[in-house]
Amino acid sequence: MSFRELYEACELTVATQELAEEMDQTSAAAIESSGSSSVRRAFLRSLGGGFGALACDALASRWQVAGGLLGGGAYGSPIEGIDPMRPMAVRKGDFAAKAKSVIFLFMVGGPSQIDTFDYKPQLQKLDGKVVPEALRRALEGTKHANVFHGCDDYLLGSPFKFQQYGQTGMWVSELMPHTAKVVDDLCFVHSMQADSNNHAPASYQMHTGDIRAGKASLGSWVTYGLGSESEELPGYVVLFDAGPLGGAANYTNGFLPPAFQPTRFRSTTPPLFHLSPMSGFVQGQRDSLDLLSKLNGMHLSQVRAESGKTVGEFEARIATYELAYRMQSSAMRVADLESEPAHIHALYGLDDPEERTQSFSRKCLLARRLVENGVRFVQLYDMPDKDGWDAHAKLVENHAPRARWTDKGVAGLITDLKQRGLLDSTLVIWASEFGRTPMKQGDMGRQHNSAGFTIWMAGGGIRPGVRLGATDEIGLMAVERPVEFRDLHATILTCLGLDYEWLSYEVSGREERITGVAGTAKPLAEVLL
Amino acid sequence: MREVVCGLFAACMSLSIGMFQELRGQSGGADANTVKEEVRFDTERMSLWSLKPVVAPQIGERTPGLLRALEFGGGVEPIDALVEADEFELRGLSKPQLLQRLTLDLIGLRATVEEVNAFLADDSIGAYERQVDRLLGDPRFGEHWARMWLDVVRYSDSNGFDWDEFRKEAWRYRDFVVAAFNDDLPFDTFMTWQLAGDELAGEALVRGGPASRLERDQLIATGYMRLGPYDNAAKLFNEQDRARVELLADLTETTGSAFLGLTFSCCRCHDHKTDPLTQVDHYRFRAFFAATEFADALSLSVPGGSDEAVGEAAPAERQVGLLMSDKVDGVEAIRVFKQGDHRYAMEEVTVGFPSVLGEPEVVLEVPVHGKTTGRRLALAKWIADPANPWTARVYVNRVWQQLFGRGIVSTPNDFGITGGLPETQGLLDHLASEFVGHGWSTKGLVRRIVQSVEYRRAGSAHRVVRRLSAEQLRDVLLQVTGLLNQRMGGPAVWPEVDQDVLRANPAVLDDNETKTKGWYPSPKSDQTVRSLYLIQKRTIRLPWMETFDLPENTVSCGMRAVSIVPSQALAVMNNEWVCEGAEGLADRVGTIRELYQEIFGREPSGAEKELCKTYMQQRTLRELALVLLNTNELAFVP
Repeated sequence: MSFRELYEACELTVATQELAEEMDQTSAAAIESSGSSSVRRAFLRSLGGGFGALACDALASRWQVAGGLLGGGAYGSPIEGIDPMRPMAVRKGDFAAKAKSVIFLFMVGGPSQIDTFDYKPQLQKLDGKVVPEALRRALEGTKHANVFHGCDDYLLGSPFKFQQYGQTGMWVSELMPHTAKVVDDLCFVHSMQADSNNHAPASYQMHTGDIRAGKASLGSWVTYGLGSESEELPGYVVLFDAGPLGGAANYTNGFLPPAFQPTRFRSTTPPLFHLSPMSGFVQGQRDSLDLLSKLNGMHLSQVRAESGKTVGEFEARIATYELAYRMQSSAMRVADLESEPAHIHALYGLDDPEERTQSFSRKCLLARRLVENGVRFVQLYDMPDKDGWDAHAKLVENHAPRARWTDKGVAGLITDLKQRGLLDSTLVIWASEFGRTPMKQGDMGRQHNSAGFTIWMAGGGIRPGVRLGATDEIGLMAVERPVEFRDLHATILTCLGLDYEWLSYEVSGREERITGVAGTAKPLAEVLL
Repeated sequence: MREVVCGLFAACMSLSIGMFQELRGQSGGADANTVKEEVRFDTERMSLWSLKPVVAPQIGERTPGLLRALEFGGGVEPIDALVEADEFELRGLSKPQLLQRLTLDLIGLRATVEEVNAFLADDSIGAYERQVDRLLGDPRFGEHWARMWLDVVRYSDSNGFDWDEFRKEAWRYRDFVVAAFNDDLPFDTFMTWQLAGDELAGEALVRGGPASRLERDQLIATGYMRLGPYDNAAKLFNEQDRARVELLADLTETTGSAFLGLTFSCCRCHDHKTDPLTQVDHYRFRAFFAATEFADALSLSVPGGSDEAVGEAAPAERQVGLLMSDKVDGVEAIRVFKQGDHRYAMEEVTVGFPSVLGEPEVVLEVPVHGKTTGRRLALAKWIADPANPWTARVYVNRVWQQLFGRGIVSTPNDFGITGGLPETQGLLDHLASEFVGHGWSTKGLVRRIVQSVEYRRAGSAHRVVRRLSAEQLRDVLLQVTGLLNQRMGGPAVWPEVDQDVLRANPAVLDDNETKTKGWYPSPKSDQTVRSLYLIQKRTIRLPWMETFDLPENTVSCGMRAVSIVPSQALAVMNNEWVCEGAEGLADRVGTIRELYQEIFGREPSGAEKELCKTYMQQRTLRELALVLLNTNELAFVP
């Protein structure tokens, strides 16, 4: 960068700071149309590598992120504005955050809303009858018409008994007796809709906002926006026995810089791949790292002398070895579930006789320990193997065990977070890619249903004991307050203090957001505290 | 020499048949016949630098850059006259370091101690240039440079989505790319085959199979159109229309990014926000692909068994590929979609180039064989027109970026208003015109760049510090420890990975009869091949490669983002195969000096030797080997 450019950039820095202050008082939407973003864009584009990081330190932290997104495609460093040498450093949100961290419980395969939390007495009455004509026509007129594809016309009443629980009197089926006990802490959204009726595209949309693969997942967006509280643990952790349908493309960083990729924690030892030295290299590890540091130091000064440049990347890589050394013990420590007392094991169901219950419960307990230790985002899947909640046949045989394996861990997590005072700062979400049809499919099964299904949220910034939206009288389609994934994402980001319109990243000329480029997302104001 | 080249270029330009007339009109060479009927785009959009014709700058003999280069002792590369001088002292790399840089950049591996010593011993004129020639002639050149292209064309060995079926034949396309770089297939031809190889090999379509290696390669190249994600399960839920629309959108957007630096994804839903591209432009471009259909049933066997393709297990067997061709009857009508949503179709459009060029007429010549529509061939001809302002610029920028770590334009897939401006447009245009003038030769272009003084300097304002890519780092670690299996080509190699990793996509646990959903580890001896050959599934990513920033392979990747994070330190320090390599190497050599030679291709300095000796009082040579494998010297391009 020439001195002239440097000078111009500094001038713009001042202008941008003023702009930032001004923006705090106006709405982001108004600014977006005012054209002032092009000033900032020009400024940030003019920054090269190391200098970018330096200049941006002077800016309010929030605008570092926004700038990086707008500037995009920088050279030298993958993002400007975020210090490429410390991409996970904590960054302030746009406004006060209610939640500091997120635990996203993903039930793979589409659990049935009408057999869990969306009680439909009318469906029970119509068991074995055809779909009422008016409801059929209402759905056929929408983009969700293909929900009818592949299933019978006949309705199947829920084989599970429902009952009201808690002070709020929420209806919960007999599948979830433990969740039923914490129901007053939960906020249900009964009117979710997805844009595809197939697993992978709908699942991609739930994770990334788009039915196509290749976009960035919510966990990547959140760590991109906020960094993470712990340097010695990854900021974005994924937990599963088997992953979601559609695989890694669900939880990937996509187009976001790889620093925001998820790290898989396993329930076994060691919890991370490559966490412990290989035998023969254990004893000498400290000596080896000391030697490595000295050799790298000599190399660094030699390069500096040859090129007349400081080399941030070399220094950063040297630093990662010390961090990795500490991570070896901190990751082992956080994953040590045996250090928890027996009553906590019992609360989550680690002492359950069923192996699958134990396995899911361990993940729930690990999730709590991770957020307790500063991890920003935990994405947790319940998939035990190749079969999720995808009950195309034999609904009872599919749903009953899956509910049993997960119910205790989920309820235990809510209870435990609450008793530790962590629920206020931890947002918990229970969701899937879609629900299931009230129509029967095959041998007492249900088809996918993207037209109306239920999710719930709890904790960090969410009003407890609320029910939002509703499906029609048979639970087929959302008819009251339909909610798109982008609205859910906007809600989650709002709880975390992130402006969902500002949290963007430029990809090939497009400012990508998890809530979409069209700017139509709206947080669910009714459920926000 | 210079005049000759410029003359050649001018000749090429005059050959192009009027498709870029309007564009030339803008540059001052006014053509009285071209009158714009309406103003389609405002001046700001029309001011886009990359719209303007490539104009190679005049280079005088006495420009400061060239004089500096002469002082430096280099040959006369016009590049050095065009790069901006910076304040750093002009200093070259040491010979060993320079050879390491060149070797890593050209073949993706390190120079051995023997190669370094041979270069050190050669004091004669042209010693460096001879190294360049040696490396350009090395078949590993194609392996390394193919990776750049595979990123651009979103190469993957699987479909993605729920089942993520293995594409058993995708490797043929990958091997075609390796061979194209090694054979220095002219880029215009390389591009044309990928978009319309089947149209050129029409006789093969009539015959039901290729009669020659040429036809075979032309067909295999169409695999380019098959590499994007494809939701094979969509039909189960009556969503096959979505799958088809996404396929066409992918072809439009990838072709725009890969060859033209145009961002067609923006104008899928509405007119482009900043660039002179309309929503209709997107769909007219999409119409070039309207007739496409999978052509996997076509035989790839060449009669007479004259098959020289590498890695063929049983050449007598009927071979098939991952191919695309046309369906000539009932070509799908292309309609503009409201907000890009196929459920809301609007007006029908036909093929057309971006309207910013004044809507030059598309002349469709239906090939005599009648098996294809001529649409993609027309598109390829337009892209390959030397007067197309984007094609050569976009490509030479990719090559420059590959050698310097960043492009002259910092956004390789976006030459629009929101993309970067060229740092030195003269340099970009010089390279573009030389490239076209010399018959679109990649090797010629690489040679010109690496022979410049700018490339050979220790610190240059144009160069960024580069950590080795995931592939390079793995290959280098295997190479220096003697574990690398250098066999070339053939079907994808499946590494043995933890069951836990495979469960990332539960579909793997539920294999089908055609064996496309499972995981099929290759023999252990095969697993240490170059990273280029490792299986690339869309829903299960190899963890080690992912740790080192393997990009998402869903859309075109023009530049890899690089992270430097602690998990990478763990992935080398505590890694089974790296440790095995360290042990094997230490046991084989026996001394500190030999370890340095094998790993770095050089002798240890006195200070290094002292440090290592002190360390060795307590520790073993095996442990020392592991330390050296973790150094920055090995992890970065010098």
